[in-house]
Amino acid sequence: VSDEELAKDLGPLAALTIGVGTMIGAGIFVLPRTAISQAGSFAVVAFLLGGGIAILTAFSASELGTAMPKSGGAYYYVNHALGSMFGSVAGWANWLGLAFASAFYMVGFGQYIQQIFGLTGQLGVGPVAVDPVKAIALVGAVFFVAINYVGAKETGRLQNVIVAVLVGILTVFTIYGALRADPANLPPAAGFDDTMAVTGIVFVSYLGFVQITSVAEEIKNPGVNLPRAVIGSVVLVTVIYALVLVTMAAAVEQGFIQALPTERIAVVEVARLLLGPIGAIAMLLGGLLATASSANASILASSRINFAMGRDGIVSESLNEIHPRFATPYRAIAITGALIVVFIAAGTVETLAAMGSVLHLLIYALLNVALIVMREAKPADYDPDYTVPLYPVVPILGALTALGLIAFISPLVIGLSAVLVAGAIVWYFAYARTRTTKRGVLSDYVRKRGVDLPTAVDAATSAHPDGGDYRVMVPLANPEHERELIELASAVAKPRGGTVVATHIITVPDQTTLEAARGRADEIDETSKFLLDRAREDAETFGVEVETHTILSHRSYEEIFDAARTHDADLVVMGWNPGAHGAPGRAEGTIDELVHSLPCDMLVLKDRGFDPSRIVVPTAGGPDSELAAEVAALLLATRDAEVRVLHVADDVEAGEAFLEDWAARNGLEAAELVVRSGDVEAAIAAEAADATMLLIGATERGLLSRLVRGTLILDVVNEVDCSVLLAERKRERSLIERLFG
Amino acid sequence: VSDVTDPPAILSRPLVPIASEDDAVETCRAAFPHIAAAGGRPVVVHVIEKAGGAPDKASVEQRETAAESAFDAVRDCAAAYDLEVETEIHYGTDVAEAVLAAAADADASAVVFHPRGGSWLLDLLTGDVRDELLRRSDRPVVVLPDAEGEADR
Repeated sequence: VSDEELAKDLGPLAALTIGVGTMIGAGIFVLPRTAISQAGSFAVVAFLLGGGIAILTAFSASELGTAMPKSGGAYYYVNHALGSMFGSVAGWANWLGLAFASAFYMVGFGQYIQQIFGLTGQLGVGPVAVDPVKAIALVGAVFFVAINYVGAKETGRLQNVIVAVLVGILTVFTIYGALRADPANLPPAAGFDDTMAVTGIVFVSYLGFVQITSVAEEIKNPGVNLPRAVIGSVVLVTVIYALVLVTMAAAVEQGFIQALPTERIAVVEVARLLLGPIGAIAMLLGGLLATASSANASILASSRINFAMGRDGIVSESLNEIHPRFATPYRAIAITGALIVVFIAAGTVETLAAMGSVLHLLIYALLNVALIVMREAKPADYDPDYTVPLYPVVPILGALTALGLIAFISPLVIGLSAVLVAGAIVWYFAYARTRTTKRGVLSDYVRKRGVDLPTAVDAATSAHPDGGDYRVMVPLANPEHERELIELASAVAKPRGGTVVATHIITVPDQTTLEAARGRADEIDETSKFLLDRAREDAETFGVEVETHTILSHRSYEEIFDAARTHDADLVVMGWNPGAHGAPGRAEGTIDELVHSLPCDMLVLKDRGFDPSRIVVPTAGGPDSELAAEVAALLLATRDAEVRVLHVADDVEAGEAFLEDWAARNGLEAAELVVRSGDVEAAIAAEAADATMLLIGATERGLLSRLVRGTLILDVVNEVDCSVLLAERKRERSLIERLFG
Repeated sequence: VSDVTDPPAILSRPLVPIASEDDAVETCRAAFPHIAAAGGRPVVVHVIEKAGGAPDKASVEQRETAAESAFDAVRDCAAAYDLEVETEIHYGTDVAEAVLAAAADADASAVVFHPRGGSWLLDLLTGDVRDELLRRSDRPVVVLPDAEGEADR
């Protein structure tokens, strides 16, 4: 089993369980009473509406999740697409929203414990009286935070069992209820406003599916399993909620629920009526398990969001420190725990639920907007395996319904949420803006698709309003060949007073391997700075002007050509290794198309040390050989290179005549001219035996394209021991040539 | 691997598991002088514990980042003793098992570690990797004392 498979160990069922386990919780075990009291038989409608709004966002979350299976989920997508200000809002809303929801789950947990042990009245010593529900909720919160602080991996597996038990209990409940259901029992339906207000509160039952995306990096085959889990969990819980609500409304007489004493839990009492004491016990057990598992999963998910926020510089990275003993993000968990405790102490059940709902609705709206931005901006690396149906209708509806639902929630809760959002924006400007390293896809898009960050431009170059400047671009992928490539580029640029443009193309989250996703951070990371600083130093040593650029979010040769166009490069000097510039595997057709119209001259170095002292230039004429000759002449003039030009011809005399003429036309009069007959490759290999560099024009069209695909047949390149420099001329092919060439 | 390996050969290719950056520093300080003296080429591994079908206690990427900073400390220490060191991240649901599998993969001459101490309660909470290593290893296990000069601190 490979390490990658071990690292991604969440199967489809486990992923589904995360969503279902987080969602089936206090929402269905605590809120039906409120829902039925306020909305009557439309309590069902409220839960269905909530599910409808959730499913719209679930589509968007699935697409974003398959495109970017990264830790941090919703926050990450918003930050990636809309930039750090919205990222800050989404991150804080997600974190606090989960803390509010966890507080709500814990209060539900408290109600169930109270019910089981029959605690009534107030717990108190002297004048200090505490509601037993809150007291238990506080103890429970501390307990579950402690479990996550210590990090027992068994809780995760227990979750799977809990979900199975819950679904079982609710199924039996529904079946018994259906047997006793009588439409005459249905309470009158509430009006629109009441139904919507109830929808706003019960929406806290639909927060879980997004948590699946926050562990996306651990999901096996996320392209398939993530959408199934996200969408499947929403569908599953919506159906369960609706059936449970129908049962509760139709199986007992009107007014039964309203008439219950306040400390009684509606679901438990209905179960007692339907199934006797056994039903009540099962429901009590179910409520305990459900509220506990929801809270546990939420605390876990919030630590992933903290991690992602810290990674992007929105909060301090020190928050993400791993406990040396428990290997848990203990600081983040402790802070989340403190927030939960404060929220339990301060809020009522409805407020906590509504706060959790509003903050998540806000994230869902932003998530849908993020999807639209990604679709419209189409960054090169955006390649989701799953795409939302009916784009753009679904995400637009998703965003509008999520925001619309907020309007029906109590003004106090909206006000509090607005304060938190304002706080997150202030946080962004006061703290995060100077620290965050990430620019959103949106701002790149707005700036006309320029995804290019000039990290430094020499004053001299900037003062040069371009024009006659000869620009040599060097795409760098790894430090290994940096020096050689820069030296070669400098050698060509210097005699022409040109500029070397060193670019580091950073590959971004690549769903194919975990390694790639981890190692290639999508920010201007240390590697980039290190590489470009070295390139700059080296270029300065060779006395040429240098510009450095970091190019984000690209992964293929396509980007090199794009960058060459953007930077008006006259020449690109690049390394040979096809893998060095990012993951291969683009459609072959695309690469063919690209290299069939080269934006500029190309030099590709198969580096075995850059030593231009003895150069062999095989030629059969043609524009590519002329480029090779040009470079050889430059090296001859500036580096005292010893150049030998080789022509292979059966008719040696005619060959000599051709070669003399060719050398004279290409400024290689000073070169040694050699004509050989026989096998071309053997002749090249023989001449190259004592050379330090083989400088060869791409004599056939498309040679470069075959190199890119790793199917170069020119064996001699692999047989010789010296460095090989492949030259190919800029070429704009006409449409007719493309069709028939 | 034979049971009668000479002591110097035991440290020829030792596998050194580390748990955290602090542990890396202590372990390397304790182990590298011995390994350097024996002319060994250590493989330092960190195991990322997986829940095996449930969400992990911390993000994989987060723990990989932490492992890389621990490895930086390892390389610094190795440079001080002029040692050539390899570092590897492994993933497994059972840390001890993953360490032993890594040792088999690397054809390690021994598993070398520095116990972190800890009470029975900690052992209960975090699983007792130390004893598991001792009990289940199919190759020599070297348990090192604190680095010299540290023992009396």
